[in-house]
Amino acid sequence: MPSSLKVEVSVTPEELQPLPVYPLKDVEASSRPEPIYHDYQTGIPIAIDLGRSTMKIGLANKKSPSNVFPSIISKYRERKLNKTLTILGNDIYLDSSIKSSMRSPFDGPMITNWDTIETLLDYSFAHLGVNSSGKVDNPIVMSEVLAAPLQQRSTMMQLVFEAYSTPKAAFGVDSLFSFYENKGSSGLVISSGHDATHLIPVVSGKPLLNISKRIDWGGSQSVNYLAKYMPLKYPFFPSKINNYQIGNLIKDHCYVSSNYNQELSQYLEMDVLENKDRVIEAPFLEVIKVQKTEEELRIETEKRKESGRRLQEQAQKARLEKLVQKEQEFAYYSELKVKLQNGTKKLILSTLQTEGFDNEAALDKYIANLDKFLKRVRNQDLGIEETEEIPTFPLLEVPDEQLDEEQQKEKKKQRLMKANYDARMRAKLEKEEQKKKVEEDALKDKQWRETDIQGWIADRKAKLDKLIQRKKERRRLKEELSDRKSRAAQIRMKNLASLASDDGPGDASNRRKRAAVTIDNDPNDTFGANDDDWAVYRDIALVDDDEAEEEEEQALLTLEQELLEFDSEFSIEDTFYRQFDWRKSILHRFLRGPREFNPEDAHQQHQIHLNVERIKVPEVLFQPSIAGIDQAGISEISEDILLRRLPQEKGFSGDIQQDILKDIFLTGGQALFENFEDRIYNDFRSFLPVDANLRVRKANDPILDAWRGMASWSTSSDSADYFISKQEYEEMGPEYIKENRMGCVRL
Amino acid sequence: MSDPIDLAAISDATTSWQSFKNPNWRAPKRRHKPAKQLIGDEQKRIQSKDPSERDIENEVTYSTLQAPPSLKPIKTYCDITGLPTSYRSPHNQVRYYNMEVYDVVKNLAAGVDQEYLGLRGANVILR
Repeated sequence: MPSSLKVEVSVTPEELQPLPVYPLKDVEASSRPEPIYHDYQTGIPIAIDLGRSTMKIGLANKKSPSNVFPSIISKYRERKLNKTLTILGNDIYLDSSIKSSMRSPFDGPMITNWDTIETLLDYSFAHLGVNSSGKVDNPIVMSEVLAAPLQQRSTMMQLVFEAYSTPKAAFGVDSLFSFYENKGSSGLVISSGHDATHLIPVVSGKPLLNISKRIDWGGSQSVNYLAKYMPLKYPFFPSKINNYQIGNLIKDHCYVSSNYNQELSQYLEMDVLENKDRVIEAPFLEVIKVQKTEEELRIETEKRKESGRRLQEQAQKARLEKLVQKEQEFAYYSELKVKLQNGTKKLILSTLQTEGFDNEAALDKYIANLDKFLKRVRNQDLGIEETEEIPTFPLLEVPDEQLDEEQQKEKKKQRLMKANYDARMRAKLEKEEQKKKVEEDALKDKQWRETDIQGWIADRKAKLDKLIQRKKERRRLKEELSDRKSRAAQIRMKNLASLASDDGPGDASNRRKRAAVTIDNDPNDTFGANDDDWAVYRDIALVDDDEAEEEEEQALLTLEQELLEFDSEFSIEDTFYRQFDWRKSILHRFLRGPREFNPEDAHQQHQIHLNVERIKVPEVLFQPSIAGIDQAGISEISEDILLRRLPQEKGFSGDIQQDILKDIFLTGGQALFENFEDRIYNDFRSFLPVDANLRVRKANDPILDAWRGMASWSTSSDSADYFISKQEYEEMGPEYIKENRMGCVRL
Repeated sequence: MSDPIDLAAISDATTSWQSFKNPNWRAPKRRHKPAKQLIGDEQKRIQSKDPSERDIENEVTYSTLQAPPSLKPIKTYCDITGLPTSYRSPHNQVRYYNMEVYDVVKNLAAGVDQEYLGLRGANVILR
């Protein structure tokens, strides 16, 4: 059979390839200042897409905006020049020190700092190369937020007409310009930008703004959401992840799931993670350990040995010298003693004093010590085992009456020494006995094992089970004690209370009697008479008994070791710690991906894993409740708009719906998410009739098409009637507006 | 590295008076209102309009554009891992996926549970 030829390859963890690691990208530094363009012409409309994150500005006869820069400004103090510098746009990324104090003129979708906006506009006109004097002699097309408060537009018109003296200007919504650029006529514009997501149905080029909706979720909210979530996922991450990096994570790794719940429920399974887990490593300074060669290591050990030998030699020499000195000393003093035996008392005393001894006994003792020392050294050299002499205590036998004061003192001393000696002997004996017992036990155990292996294994297993049980019990108790209302905690409180109150049952006289006694002779206090009394301390102590825990741990390991050795059915997989296999842990897979985690590895310490977040962040657009937004998602609102709110009432029959369904149009920065169209298609299919003709498309360039639409609209005849001239502005004021098809609505 | 970039010169170029600006233009003193206040002011302005001039049915304002709350049952997900679940910890209301995650949820450091809840707007806000 051919199938039997197939060799099965089992993948062991060692064979798993490391996952690809992506860098944690920060914002890219600019290398040169923003250029100034010189092909400026008067009269040609200037299109300004005033994006919340990026401004796009350029002459309308160009294919793309010439100035694209983040709408941020930084005013910071330059220390060397002692001057406050104002840097904006891409120039902020020229130097990392500028980044710290940057600010945006926007608060959410609204312009709040108009001075900054004015500076930004100055800057962008200057970089376009505008050189007319006293005015910007070009029509201006500018994007605005759909139905933003009137104050926003009127202040902008004031700027455009009064500060820049523009001849005429028009306003519109970026997503509709993008739709215009992509040749849309009827359709549903879904625009997910930096601060909000808009759904605008358009019929024959005319937006139905009264049934349009806005979900307050966009790119910036996604970034904030993930920025709050990542520190919770990795609370001890060694470096701080800034919002640019979070933004890049979302841009590079997040995608819309075409079927969220189905994909989600399997996301953390090993084989799925294998493909979908993304490892991102933050930059860090690696400490490189110099690896020594074998030759170097050999030389090093040799050196160490050499110095050791030299040291030994020196010690030997010193010892020999000392020995010789002591020998000489011994000879000298022995001779002295012999000499003194024949001398007069006076001579003896003076000689002793010059030699530094108090009396003859001191000299004798000194000589005896010397002799002992020399004997010991000699024995050592000859390898003779020394036997401890059994000391004698002769005075102990003699009654006190027969002794003088000095001897009585000596007797006391001897008694102490005897006690000491006896205790030492006893301990020695006990030790030996214990050793013998351990050996005997081991032998017995071995015999048991050899004669009745099954019984032995059963016994060990029972012991192991008991230990594990106790471990679990300890854990449970610990948990229970952390809850004040649990039974364990209440029993403990009760014990404490009964211990604290001295008053047992009894009348007043009893109490008085008790008050009279001291703590040492209380007849009622029988605590300790029974050994079990002491157990109460164990009961009231919290379970943090590290020592006992460690002991049990050790016992567990030895038991398992024995079982591993002698029970053929007990494998390493059955050990207690293998039960917590990382492969089986959902948290491990969530935090560390489909590989084992080595906390010592500096790289792994600086790695984060994106898995569920990859689809969770974009999913907020479809289920805003995930991020606590009390609004319906894109699909639900679209359903409402398409099936219930479109002008031709009574459901799904009118032509308008059919026209719109043929062009579901996605634009805005978040439309760049992979699979966005698929998801919209799937979701819409679920509420549409089977035969509905549904088409979903994405803008050619979801980010720049808004500007391109502005440029092409402003240069085409479509816009002719919709510009407001400076004269009209001066006559009618900032509230005057020409409602165009680009979402500029009268407020 | 090429020659150093003269940031001071860039700053001077952006902050100096531009020749294309109206020489009579003086920027008015502007108050910086936060977005919330702007929206509130707008609401007041619209309400103060003459009712006869208003077409309430088809009026388009910033607030009418706001998407309505969902009418569908809310799906619940584990606050820690994001997986679908229907369990919720009785101690701190944090949703969890299984027993293993519950062990973590039970022993969350003080305040961390509120941070998790804050991600979905379910935290307790003390005023």
